[in-house]
Amino acid sequence: MSQPSKFYFEDVVLHGVLETPAMTITEAHVALYAGLSRDDPREAGAVPEILPLCLTTGLGWRVPQPPLAVLAFMGVEWVADAPMRVGDTIHSRSETTLKRSMKEGGVIIEQRQVVNQRGEVVQHGKFTFLVAKRPA
Amino acid sequence: MTDSRRFFDDIQVGEEYESPGRTVTETDIVIFAGLSGDYNILHTDAEFMKSSIFGERIAHGLLGLAIQAGLFTRATQPYATLAFVGLRWKFKGPVKIGDTIRVRARVSAKKETSKVDRGVVTVERTVLNQRDEVVQEGETDLMVERRAGG
Repeated sequence: MSQPSKFYFEDVVLHGVLETPAMTITEAHVALYAGLSRDDPREAGAVPEILPLCLTTGLGWRVPQPPLAVLAFMGVEWVADAPMRVGDTIHSRSETTLKRSMKEGGVIIEQRQVVNQRGEVVQHGKFTFLVAKRPA
Repeated sequence: MTDSRRFFDDIQVGEEYESPGRTVTETDIVIFAGLSGDYNILHTDAEFMKSSIFGERIAHGLLGLAIQAGLFTRATQPYATLAFVGLRWKFKGPVKIGDTIRVRARVSAKKETSKVDRGVVTVERTVLNQRDEVVQEGETDLMVERRAGG
């Protein structure tokens, strides 16, 4: 049987932990990000803090489960614990800590960490999503 | 040459700024999908999105966050920022292709830290579209340098 193409509210496991593969942050990532946003690095080799936050969303697509059926991204709280440099290799670890069923879909809260090549948590925070329920 | 950056000591609670506008294009969304790897259909499938509540593709929320971070640097003389330390952020409405967004910001708090050479400046920010609808809002904390001997 083929896998479902989406991961619905019902499929989300409370306290399930997902660990993504890693990726190296390059000059190209910083240049593309800065060109797009004009949120420039403060010095050569520095990584603007919002870039790793953005990269975690794509890393979340590289786990062996279909993408979450997000209806809306509601909010994010985020802390930059330590600076990152070009050449650092990050991955992300996330855990669903809340599932609340609503009339249309459901709210999930995910605690997420960005971890570097030395196993240090360099950023962390929480994402709130409105997720679709499985169509009847 | 004098340092034109604004230090922790110079910034006052209650200061307000408004940035220029920036039109969000399809290109922005495509580049952001490629950069971040977030290919969610909300941002990439024009046909599917015709039947969604939004009626068309919308920009990634974090693209809007990144763009306002850049707009903020154009709204005021640059801060002597050492680091971005955190944010609390809500996505209130969609940013669609062709929308023009700008950021309105207000310094809401200043906090000294255990280190004498720096302090944390909290800035409340509202991202507005061309119809003055709030599409994103929240607070960001920035670590800002203090003047030497300040």
